[in-house]
Amino acid sequence: MKTEKQPNRILNGVGVGTRRVSGRLKFFFRGELSQPHKTNISHDGAQEWSRLQTALRKTAEKIKALYERALSSVGEDAAQIFEIHGMLLEDEDFLDALREETERGSCAEDAVEGATQRFSEMLSGLGDDYLSARAADMRDVARQLQQSLSGNESNEHDREKTPFILVADDLSPSETVMLEKSLILGFVTFRGTPNSHTAILARAMGIPALVSVGAIDPLYDGSPALLDAAEGTLTLSPTEEQTSVFADKQKKDDRIAEEHDRYLRSLMNKPAVTRGGHRMLIYANIGNVEEVDAALSNGADGIGLLRSEFLYLGTDDYPTEETLFRAYSDIAVRMQGKRTVIRTLDIGADKRIPYFGLPEEENPALGFRAIRICLAREDLFKTQLRAILRATAHGRLSIMLPMIVSVDEVRQSKRILEECMQELRRENKRFDPKPEFGIMIETPASVIMCEELASEVDFFSVGTNDLMQYTLAADRQNPALARLCEENTEPILRMIATAADAIHRFGGWIGICGELAAELHLTQRFADMQIDELSVSVPYLLGVRGKVTECR
Amino acid sequence: MKEFTYKIEDPNGMHARPAGMLATFAKQFHADIRVNAGEKSADGKRLLSLMSLGAVHGTELTFCISGDDEDTAAAALEAFCKEKMKGNTKM
Repeated sequence: MKTEKQPNRILNGVGVGTRRVSGRLKFFFRGELSQPHKTNISHDGAQEWSRLQTALRKTAEKIKALYERALSSVGEDAAQIFEIHGMLLEDEDFLDALREETERGSCAEDAVEGATQRFSEMLSGLGDDYLSARAADMRDVARQLQQSLSGNESNEHDREKTPFILVADDLSPSETVMLEKSLILGFVTFRGTPNSHTAILARAMGIPALVSVGAIDPLYDGSPALLDAAEGTLTLSPTEEQTSVFADKQKKDDRIAEEHDRYLRSLMNKPAVTRGGHRMLIYANIGNVEEVDAALSNGADGIGLLRSEFLYLGTDDYPTEETLFRAYSDIAVRMQGKRTVIRTLDIGADKRIPYFGLPEEENPALGFRAIRICLAREDLFKTQLRAILRATAHGRLSIMLPMIVSVDEVRQSKRILEECMQELRRENKRFDPKPEFGIMIETPASVIMCEELASEVDFFSVGTNDLMQYTLAADRQNPALARLCEENTEPILRMIATAADAIHRFGGWIGICGELAAELHLTQRFADMQIDELSVSVPYLLGVRGKVTECR
Repeated sequence: MKEFTYKIEDPNGMHARPAGMLATFAKQFHADIRVNAGEKSADGKRLLSLMSLGAVHGTELTFCISGDDEDTAAAALEAFCKEKMKGNTKM
């Protein structure tokens, strides 16, 4: 940590969310991994074994402390990770391997490395994604053991105990997903825009962020700062006066939020019906399994958009059908009969995954992405469709195709889905033979063709973010165009009305799952169009529900 | 020796958490507890050993229990599998 005080400065950026937080800045540098500290002091087997035993005891205590802390901060389910770490540390097979290594003359550090490698390779080699991921747990335990051995208690955990404001050049969606949520007060990125997936994720996690602030001198690492997402400012090394004004604003926010929260909670289990009697389903947009509980506890009537990319991010290879099946059925079971709309793989554009080996494109937003990849690589598509179908045996799942521009794409997808069903029948696997099937309306072509498309599917869901950028010919990642997008929602609203008329005539339903769905000044318009469902990020659920009940 | 089979119902297979619960439960008995899945065999009291089975949803596990308290152990383990191994949380 820096001790000398850095000069007071105020930076401007684009705020995500409306909260204000104060805390220390922590700069995030890619690939910062500490190597185990190796020493070659002694090779006396008995002595090394006794050093290991001391280190094992110390590590067990540390893990126990981590478990206790996790229990109070994130709850029992997640805390069990540390229970498992404790068991790994004390596992007889692991201990046997350590003893053997020291008997063979390795020093304690090498013994840990050797034994860890053996078991993490074993786990990685099982061909099961969940168990393979446990190799990382094994390495985590080993790292802590190495730390205890070296006596060099780099206070990594002490440092990580205090939540901080994360500062990075930019964060990719997968990096954002991997971050320790409970430790992040807020994000600040030098680049990025409020519409990027990173910002969307931040919103879903309910943490404030400030993007596009420009570079910050790394000397500020560890310095105090005030992040004001509502006003879009970051105050570095604040003065006492700035800090106290900020604290007053926070107090006022808290008071307003509390009152509002009380009102919204009172609505939670009531259906969202306008005064005119139109019922709207309030659904959640989620990007991983963990968000299901948050959605339900905020009164979600269902999941209107499950971004299925999360299972493909943060890994080195394609997830297996089993992995997908487990995650989908897990969600289906947790939703207890409420509908979950799974959007099939939507990668490409700003969501890139290295192992897909996709070529660099001049213009990825207009490129080889989403359904286009799925139809060109049927094996990939089939793996996902089979997993979804199998999971329909465990709950109420709907399938939704992204980026549709033609009826032909829908028919091709249906044919592939039918093939998957035939395969599953031959394999005697259970599934719902008539899963609800729909498409995203996010291209102008799909609006123009909405009659024909409506005759092919059960539902539409409007992705307003993409629909807006393709209709206005404005890149939503470009900060210079943010205002243009904000001021031109009318063409989008008229397109939604057109699509709604078409699907209603064919007896289907229509939802909106883009960011416009959460814009409260538009809720009345959506109600007038007889929109059946609004799907929003978890923090907006109650607000939208409240707004619907106030509509005519 | 006592023997029984159990087919894994948990959609996530025998991941770390159920394996950990099983190992902890098995440790209270004196009897030697082997858990077999296909050609692989594990010590029912050891977490890493159980995880090395790589047992997924639908895998049939055969428990072989031998020792002075094998009757009690077999009955208790069978009940444990049926009641506690269904879970929906992966970890």
